[in-house]
Amino acid sequence: MRPYTLHGMNPDLFITPASAEEVAATLRHAARTGAAVVPWGAGLHQHLGHGPARYEIALDMTRLHRVVEYSPPDLVLTVEAGARLGDVQALLAQQSQWLPWNPPRGAEATIGGLLAAGASGPLRLGYGPPRDWTLGMRVALGDGRLVKSGAKVVKNVAGYDAHKLHLGALGTLGVIVEATFKVAPLPETMQTIVLRFREPPPLPALAVLHEPPLAPVSLVAQTGDGRLTEGNDDSGISGSIQNPKSKIQNGWVAVRFAGVRAAVARQLQVAAQRGVELGAIAEVLESSDDVAFWEELADVPAPRNDGSLGLRAGVAPGHMVQLAQLLETTAQRRGWQSFSSCYLGLGLAYSRWWPGPEPAADAIALALAELRAGLQPLGGYAVVEDCPSAMRPTLDIWGPAPGSARLMLALRERWNPSEVLNPGRYVCIKG
Amino acid sequence: MPKPTLITELNAALGPRYVLHRPEELMLYEYDGSALDQATPEVVVVPSSTAEVAAVARIAQAHGLPLVARGAGTGLAGGSIADRGGIVVSLARMDRILSINPQERTAVVQPGVVNVELSERAAPFGLHFAPDPSSQKSSTVGGNAAANAGGPHCLKYGVTTNHVLAATLVLSDGSVVQLGGSAPDAPGYDLLGAVVGSEGTLGIVTELTVRLTANPEDVRTFLAIYDTMDGASSSVAAIIAAGIIPAALEMLVGRGITAVEESVRAGYPAGAAAVLLIELDGLHEELQVQQEQVVALCREHGASEVRVAADPVQRAKLWAGRKGALAACARIAPHYHIQDGVVPRSKLIEVLRQTEEIAARYHLIVVNIFHAGDGNLHPLLLFDMREPGVRARAIAAGEELLRACVAAGGTISGEHGIGLEKRDYIGWMFNADDLSAFADLRAVFDGAGLMNPCKLVPSGSSCADIRMAKGAQRALAAGAWV
Repeated sequence: MRPYTLHGMNPDLFITPASAEEVAATLRHAARTGAAVVPWGAGLHQHLGHGPARYEIALDMTRLHRVVEYSPPDLVLTVEAGARLGDVQALLAQQSQWLPWNPPRGAEATIGGLLAAGASGPLRLGYGPPRDWTLGMRVALGDGRLVKSGAKVVKNVAGYDAHKLHLGALGTLGVIVEATFKVAPLPETMQTIVLRFREPPPLPALAVLHEPPLAPVSLVAQTGDGRLTEGNDDSGISGSIQNPKSKIQNGWVAVRFAGVRAAVARQLQVAAQRGVELGAIAEVLESSDDVAFWEELADVPAPRNDGSLGLRAGVAPGHMVQLAQLLETTAQRRGWQSFSSCYLGLGLAYSRWWPGPEPAADAIALALAELRAGLQPLGGYAVVEDCPSAMRPTLDIWGPAPGSARLMLALRERWNPSEVLNPGRYVCIKG
Repeated sequence: MPKPTLITELNAALGPRYVLHRPEELMLYEYDGSALDQATPEVVVVPSSTAEVAAVARIAQAHGLPLVARGAGTGLAGGSIADRGGIVVSLARMDRILSINPQERTAVVQPGVVNVELSERAAPFGLHFAPDPSSQKSSTVGGNAAANAGGPHCLKYGVTTNHVLAATLVLSDGSVVQLGGSAPDAPGYDLLGAVVGSEGTLGIVTELTVRLTANPEDVRTFLAIYDTMDGASSSVAAIIAAGIIPAALEMLVGRGITAVEESVRAGYPAGAAAVLLIELDGLHEELQVQQEQVVALCREHGASEVRVAADPVQRAKLWAGRKGALAACARIAPHYHIQDGVVPRSKLIEVLRQTEEIAARYHLIVVNIFHAGDGNLHPLLLFDMREPGVRARAIAAGEELLRACVAAGGTISGEHGIGLEKRDYIGWMFNADDLSAFADLRAVFDGAGLMNPCKLVPSGSSCADIRMAKGAQRALAAGAWV
């Protein structure tokens, strides 16, 4: 049996359904009895959100791992939620296709877990978020209704796009049992240029790295003074600054291109030129290192048991500079080290603060409040993704409720009326 | 006749000039681009701001009247027809582009902005608004969002929902909510994702933030000419199978080619069995490689000739022909009933043949001009409404066409919407539980059930009895508008 321990809590029982109907039946039963259910994929994103308010049943989805339909000429794939993304990618690769999606822990994580976690990845700049590739779903709602939305074709406007509501919802509206994706042909090649700056990378000037003719599929800058390998890292990620092979280093900017060889080659050249003009040393990575490099980079947001605080913060892409500054100065002012992986062009940053060996929860709460106050006029937000577990109950993980919270709560009352799915973990917690 | 108090209240909120209730004023709002549906609202309002739309919603709720939002009225499914009466909210005056942010590649617009005008205004920055429905010269961004419109170029660039970042929504109780935002992945459920494509049934969008797309460095447009429909279909499959996603991949079959050519004189080969209009865009090097591949694949699959558009003028003409196809087909017969089914690309040939077989059985002319790359068929059934019984035949044939699409694993609508025309078919795709989840969603936004009631997903007992739009018979008598 797997340990379904979550933030120190253990379930009374675990269930490993073998069909969508069994998932629905479990939820029907739970809704009737009020037993709280925590859906599990590979468990690699269970650190997100609050701990559950109650936890009676672990609903292990990993037996639902079949490929339901895959028609390569149609570029459409339907898989059960428990399938691992890595396995799915391997299947697609046999047909020179892929899901252009490289989320943290993407090899081992399950499709359903990744969708529920709202995990994206650096490829999002070029290919859009998984939302753009998800054509439909089957979902077991919190009251046991087994429902579908969308269709198994690349365009559909029949019915509401209800499946979008489950993306990033941490399974609080329903449990995803099956998803249909549009898939893409694999590009002929992908290659990356790393720009090394002696000073912190000049973020405002980096906009030239995604101006025509450059159309990078990923563009990530590493800022801050912290080091990912400090402390007691048991995350399994190969280290960074101590690891001479690692390219994830402060002050480095990674730009990835995809497409036909000649087009990629020209873009690498132009990017190198633009980088050098900005004062960087440019290094084009061997294309054989490309995948491993980006896997490591995509894993930066994964939890680390080193006493640090992992944040996800977003702003309109034009405010990225201010976001990076806020993330750094808020930490600096307290003498904490920080590190941010800034997804340029997207307005998304994954950041880490190291508040020292025995951090006071209220000091962190204060820093968070300060960060959010700075983000508020920019229309930005910050979410705590990872933190020392003792601190989690006291922190405001999600920040202020969105303006449409009333509608969100009303929707949850309809789809998860007994509040049995991941109670208390997501935004808009009932009083 | 609407109650005098209703008019008084609306006049007070908007000014009498923007409250239309005389029969000759209302006539203009009886129909949309779907030639078969027609109904007269009790009153039409033309608000100028979010606050005015909210005021109208409060008045509607107090009177228990439906609210039907309307952009340019180019919809092809009856979505903006007030078949239950009530208030049509025309967003024609809310037509300002509020800002363009070239650095972020976004624009903030009011819903009444015409699609193509946004692209024109973004052009100096090297940007455009990617959704390009054929109606783009008149349809509005708000209408595009309501229908989750597509267009030829959504093959590569995605449909409207992929390009809407935020919206201001007026609910039926008069409250105003902001959904989405320019910051990605803000905490909270993706309500915006449900609102785009909801055909005005959840609320009225009064402002949108949309994504703009960088213009490609290079564009190549071809016309591949075939003696058989099968050759064109198998070329489509072969291009996609080769890992090429063209910017657009359109097919014109049979009589439609002649009609289009007579209308635009763009060099479409009248008399050909089928043509593919193929557009590649991207970086020069990419196009160099892909052009060779595409031309070879087309020839391999039976193209007798592949012509390359020599210059932007010729390219624009080819597209004018494609986008004006619906109007061009009026040369064949005065009335149409257009369908919008989608099938897996691999089923294209099979379903195309079925469309011809079904049309023949119902003694109707069918023209297929459609988004082949997406598998999105637009069988255009052509007829003359003066012929007795033809309307019913067209509806029955359309229904059979859609059944064929669903049977092939597809959907009843790819981009036009469900509206009135297809709401009775929604049960082919969704069971009672699916529909109950949709009804939940609708009730969350519109507890009063007044937002474009009985469209898209009929719910509530009041929708049980409808089969055909009120006033359809009158439309017949009056001669439908094409």
